[in-house]
Amino acid sequence: MAHKQKGAHSPSKSPPRMSLQQPHKKGTRSMRKPVRRTPGWLPAAATIGAIALLVVAFLAIRWVTTPPAPAPIDSTHAAAVLSTITSLPPSELEQVGLGSAANRLKPVSGPALVGPGGKPLVFYFGAEYCPYCAAERWPIIIALSRFGAFSGLKTTTSSSSDIYANTPTFTFHRATYSSQYIEFQAVETTDRNQNSLDSPTQAQVALVNRFDASGSIPFVDLGNRYAFSGATYAPDSLQGISWQQIADALQQADSVQAKAILGSANLIAAAVCKLTSDQPAEVCSGAAIQSIEAKL
Amino acid sequence: MGRHDRLLPGLAALASVAGLGVSVYLTVVHYSAIPLVCTSSGAVNCERVLSSGYAVIAGSALPTSAAGIVWFTVSAALAVGQLSGRGVPLLTLLQVAWSALGLVTVLGLVFIEIVMLGTICVWCTAAHALVLATFLLAIAIWQSATESARSMNTRPMRK
Repeated sequence: MAHKQKGAHSPSKSPPRMSLQQPHKKGTRSMRKPVRRTPGWLPAAATIGAIALLVVAFLAIRWVTTPPAPAPIDSTHAAAVLSTITSLPPSELEQVGLGSAANRLKPVSGPALVGPGGKPLVFYFGAEYCPYCAAERWPIIIALSRFGAFSGLKTTTSSSSDIYANTPTFTFHRATYSSQYIEFQAVETTDRNQNSLDSPTQAQVALVNRFDASGSIPFVDLGNRYAFSGATYAPDSLQGISWQQIADALQQADSVQAKAILGSANLIAAAVCKLTSDQPAEVCSGAAIQSIEAKL
Repeated sequence: MGRHDRLLPGLAALASVAGLGVSVYLTVVHYSAIPLVCTSSGAVNCERVLSSGYAVIAGSALPTSAAGIVWFTVSAALAVGQLSGRGVPLLTLLQVAWSALGLVTVLGLVFIEIVMLGTICVWCTAAHALVLATFLLAIAIWQSATESARSMNTRPMRK
């Protein structure tokens, strides 16, 4: 820089040269220009701030995506919905076949599970808060209604604070079932707010522990010949719609709900037909049921 | 390695051991009938989180907490390695990368808890907080190492 004349002035383009023009302390000078260092606390504060923002964003997403609970329906409308879904034409069930249902049924071994009346027993273990239980009750009701009749079914929804919040469904709590072919027992351990409801017997607990080691609900044992846990279809197809809308959709074989719920109902009905030696014939001799039975 | 240089890796090792304890506890509870010590109502419900489909590693029967055992074990090993003073620059870099990976995973799990399940598991949150603490300590160790290297390169030059 010695060739520059002292006092030369280039106001707009000259780079800052203050450090070069200032006299240095005798004997030493810094090898590098001083660097403004990042305060030590800044990365930690930035990380915590970013995480806090993300959590707020997650809460906002949750709030926006949670569907409102469907408006409750009175017992008359509930009965109408039940009447609709339990009297669907067999031809429609035939048309749907397995639909979009996932075959979660697994053959299990053990002494035949029979009810107090000596007939093959279908055992359900779930809870009202559980959205997968909410979804699976629809096909269970439809399937078992082909072999007998439920009474005392009441409407409810899954928890408002769980995945697939407020899924509309019916509860098996205090419901009864009668059939000349099979028996049905259900345990709903808690209500939708996780308050205790039904207590399983020791035998029922043993059954769950034996065939549902992961503890997933719903758990369904069909006469100790087949069992499954979890739902046979995703509950998302029931999100944001009412019981009546589901019943309406089930009357259309090509609807998403019909393919999922009626397909699942056929799957359960086929397993029950295995327990009843294909009785009654009007249910078990259908091509769709026979086809599913062959896959079990 | 001075006492001050050992402080941050020591804290990282402690956080990792604590996280390991939480992960082992959750894994034992998953495989046994031991009841989980946690509230089960309202927004905090460990049982609901740990019995959900997200509590196992996708496509397996392994609980997510088993992955926590692996993560915290590696993290503890990295911290202890730094304490020993051998290969510290490489271990520091690995610790930052490993803890960043852990933090990203934690954010995914927090997303599942808040958005998908709508409930929080306090034991999981404790483990998540320890992952965050490990990440912050890893960054602090890395900063400290960078500062040390810089100060060695800017010694006064004699005439």
